[in-house]
Parts: sequence; C-alpha cells; structure tokens
Amino acid sequence: MNLMADILLNVIIAFLVGSVLFGLQRKIMARIQMRPGPPIIQHLLHTFKFFIKESAFPKTAAMPFYIAITAMLCAIWVAAVIVGPVTEGSLLLFFAIYALHKIVEHNAGSSSGSPYGKMSCVRAVFSAAAELPLFAVLIIIYLKTGTMNIGNIVTYQGHYGPLIWGIPLAAMMFFVLILSKAPYSPFAITKGKDIISGYETEHFGLLRGYLMISESIAWYMLLWVFLTVFIGGLSPIGYLIGMVLISALVALINATTPILNPNHSIMVQVSLAFIGVLGSIILLTVY
Amino acid sequence: MDKLKTISWILFIISIMFIVYALIFNLVNWIVYAISLVFIPLSILSFGLISMARGKKEDEEDKRKEPFIGY
Amino acid sequence: MDLTTLGGQFIGIIPLGDIVLYFTTFNLFMFAAVLVFTVLIAISRTESQVEAQFGTLKDREKKVGKAEFKIRRFLAIVCGLATAGAMITGDVFDFTLFVALIGIVNIGIVAAVKEIDVLDSAFQYGIIAMIASLPLFGGAAFILASTGTLSLLEIVNIPTTTLMLFGSILLFLGVAGETGVAPFFATKAEMFRTPGSPFLLIIHLSSLMVIVRIIEILLIINKPF
Repeated sequence: MNLMADILLNVIIAFLVGSVLFGLQRKIMARIQMRPGPPIIQHLLHTFKFFIKESAFPKTAAMPFYIAITAMLCAIWVAAVIVGPVTEGSLLLFFAIYALHKIVEHNAGSSSGSPYGKMSCVRAVFSAAAELPLFAVLIIIYLKTGTMNIGNIVTYQGHYGPLIWGIPLAAMMFFVLILSKAPYSPFAITKGKDIISGYETEHFGLLRGYLMISESIAWYMLLWVFLTVFIGGLSPIGYLIGMVLISALVALINATTPILNPNHSIMVQVSLAFIGVLGSIILLTVY
Repeated sequence: MDKLKTISWILFIISIMFIVYALIFNLVNWIVYAISLVFIPLSILSFGLISMARGKKEDEEDKRKEPFIGY
Repeated sequence: MDLTTLGGQFIGIIPLGDIVLYFTTFNLFMFAAVLVFTVLIAISRTESQVEAQFGTLKDREKKVGKAEFKIRRFLAIVCGLATAGAMITGDVFDFTLFVALIGIVNIGIVAAVKEIDVLDSAFQYGIIAMIASLPLFGGAAFILASTGTLSLLEIVNIPTTTLMLFGSILLFLGVAGETGVAPFFATKAEMFRTPGSPFLLIIHLSSLMVIVRIIEILLIINKPF
C-alpha cells in the first residue's frame, strides 16, 4: 500500500476509535453514577461541533505560540502513529513523544495568560516529574527483551508468551500512565475541574476541537502501545476488544475515585513508579 | 475576506496538494514522513480556521479583551 | 549490541574532527522537535499574565518589558540550540558540556525577572546545578578512564565494567541535578511563575529532552546483554 495512504488511514482510525472510546468511557462512568449519560459518539460530535463554533483569540495570548502549540500536539501524535502502527519503530521514540506531550501540556497552559492555564502549567511541571519515571517502564521492557523495536518485541512475545505475565509490575506502571491521561482520572491534575479545564481553558472554539482530535489519537496510541507491548500480535478485532476493556476499566476507576490533590497525585505516581521499577528489577534478577 | 481567511485558504490548499501528491506518487519514505508530520496537522488547523465562525467586529474586541469571564 | 537496537534506523554521522555527531531516527526526531520549538520561541511574542487584584474586582496584567524580553529571548535561543546539540552529539564530554550550558542558561532566563520568589528558586536551582556539575564531569571522566574513549560509537562495542557503571551513575546524578528533575524539581517548579511562556517552555523542554537522551546514553554505556 502507498505509505501516505497507510499513514492517513491509521491517523483517521486512531482519531475515530479514540473519540468513540472517550465517549464510551463517559457513558460507563455515567451508568456507574446512576445517570443516563451522553451518547457514545458525543465526544466525536463535540470535536466536530467545535470546528464550526465562533472563535476568538485572547488579547493576552503569546502569538503565534498559542496557535502553534496545538499544531505541535497534533504533529507529535501523528509521529506516534507513524512510529507505532505504520512502521513498528523504536519504543524510545515513544518516550520522546510522551515527553513532548508533557511540554505541550505545560505550554498550552501558560501561553494564554489565563491564571487557570498558568496553574495547570505549573502542575504539568510537577506531573512530568512523576510521569517520566513511570515511562521508565520502557527500560524494563528493554532489559527483559533486549530490544526497543516494537516489531521485535512482538516476535519475542510470539516465542515466550505475553510480557504481561513476565513483567506484571511494568504493565501496572504503564496502566497507571494510561490512567493519568484519561479525563476525570484521579491523576488528571492538569485538567482538574478546580482549574476549569486546566491548560485547555483558553483554547476554545476550533483550537479546542483541534486539541480534542490530538487527544483522541493520543488515547488510541497509548492503548495501542500497551496492547502491543504487553500482549502482542493481536488481530484488529483483538485490539478493539482490548481497547474497550481497558477503557471500561479506566472508566470504572475514574467513576469511583475523586481527583487527587496535586501533591498526593504526584506521590502516588512516584511511589508506584518506584515499586514498579524496583520490583521489576528484583523479579528480573530472581527469574 | 480578511487576512486570516486568505492565509488559511492558501495553507489549506498547499497542504492538501502535498498530501494528495504523496498519495498518488510513491515517494522516498522520509519525504512522506516529513509531509505527513507537517501537512496533516497544518491541513486540520487551516481547515478549522476556515470553518470557524467569526463574531461581529464590535463584539469581537470585547471577547478578545475579556476572555476569562466567558460570554 | 549496536545503536539501532535503541534508536531505530541509523541515518548517518557528521564527523567534525574527533567530535562525531550521529543520527538515528530517535536522535533526529528529538533534534528536529527541539529546533522547531526554538524557532517558535524566536518568533513568538510573550503573553501578559492576568492576575486577580486583591481588594478590588479589577485584574492586573503582568507583562515582560522590552529589555528583559530581548535578553531572555536570546538566552532561550541559546538554550534551545544547546539542547538540540545535546540530542545528536556522539561524544559524552560534549554532552556534559551542553548540559552544563543548559543549566547556566536556565538560570539566566529567569534571573532577568524582578520577582523575589522566582529569583529565590533560581538561586536554589543554581546551587544544585553547580553542585551537580561535579558528578556530571566526574562521570564523563570515569567513563573516559575506564574505556579510553568518549565516543559513544566506540563505547557501544566495549563490554561494560563496574567502573563504567559507576561512571554512568555519576553522570545520571549530574544530569538530574543540572536539569532539575525529580528529586530536585521542587526548586524548579517555582521558576515557572513568571510571565514569558515561550522562555519557560525552553526550560522545561531542555530538562525533559536531556532526560530522555541520557536514558539512551546510559543504555549505550551499560549493556545488559
């Protein structure tokens, strides 16, 4: 197949599936809280709706940074799609992409001049300090399999069985990372409702729709990496079932836990990262 | 048509042209990656800038000035 | 083991005498991302931070003055270029130099601000960065002493010894202090209170990108297999 067609197809699939999964998550959360909840395609509809809404750019914003940062978010997750489903490249690149995602989160907040955005920006600095150690899970995968290449990791799992049994603590760490990227999650301090919408507060209208597209792709990609790296070699139906299951699990957790205070959120994440890294290394040396 | 709309139309047409060009011809891999990294986000952004609704001129100044209290 | 295990496809090298820059997909991606951000910073205006005033219903706008803007933008661009250099260098000593430069420039970016809290935290961060420069260069020295080379393209073929492991731990400590990530991030987060979002971006960007890069370097030095 033509490479561009492959990339475009994967980006569109990532966007659509990610949006529907976000909608599903809201639906499940609503049902757990005994509300009817919005339709499953609500997130998708919101994304499209924002594109035709009236938009204005705040006078206080740092132009052209304020707009360019949204394009950066989209570009890095398109890069993630290329590294992931299209070429099955290096996991280390995902690390870089995730770090860039934290930077975009940080600066989308501060570029508008809004106090809510600023608060979210400072929180993003804190949470980066906790989420990057969690992303060290990639190193554990490397120590276990001896490769950073996604294709080779899938081959490894073909021989030795899914990695989720081999390094369960690493899978737990990655799950915490996925959880902290979900809306309404206990770790979503950068988007906590106490600071309105966090870094997205001043990105309304089309820019919000644009951010939502990128976030849907990001959600799909995080789930894709989890399923590929820890379970490996799934068919498209398998991926879909896995993504729905993880989204449902995340929704269950989000519906039943409050958003943690920033300090607590960081401490929980850092402790989990510490337990995960140390425990995995002990497990690797023992077996 | 104001300046923003004109620029967005130009950017949109350029980015769609590049994407279609890469779709039709089989280019070297890294050029396709570069095109998709730059022009997919740019096409979405410029499409958004074209499709977004603009308020009345006199209202818009207020919205830009007092963005944080909503409207 | 070779470099492609970590960074994906090997694209090429740029030899500058005995300093060799090398590109894998991973290095190239980070290099390009840092450069894009640096260009954005160079052309961007700063935001004016809106804060609620105490006692009235009015807002207060905090802006970046013109002289301050110029010097901070210059330092931010230097920081961006140093970060971009640290992404592609194939030489451990070069890397430590770039990291040290990032540390100095980061203090410079916030030192121009006239706010006591910010200056305080910049001072504390500066002390940590200074202390961290000893393990940083010490680590590079240990690696040189134990392998006889500083080039990552050579080190990748040399089996790991205990002294190399010790050197790389020192190197990591140095980078952690110099970039102000956990456990030192508390001093750095306060620095982000100032207005001037593009310049704050480069402080954050440089520390995260250098951390990502140091992980690649540590895995190159310490070969688990």
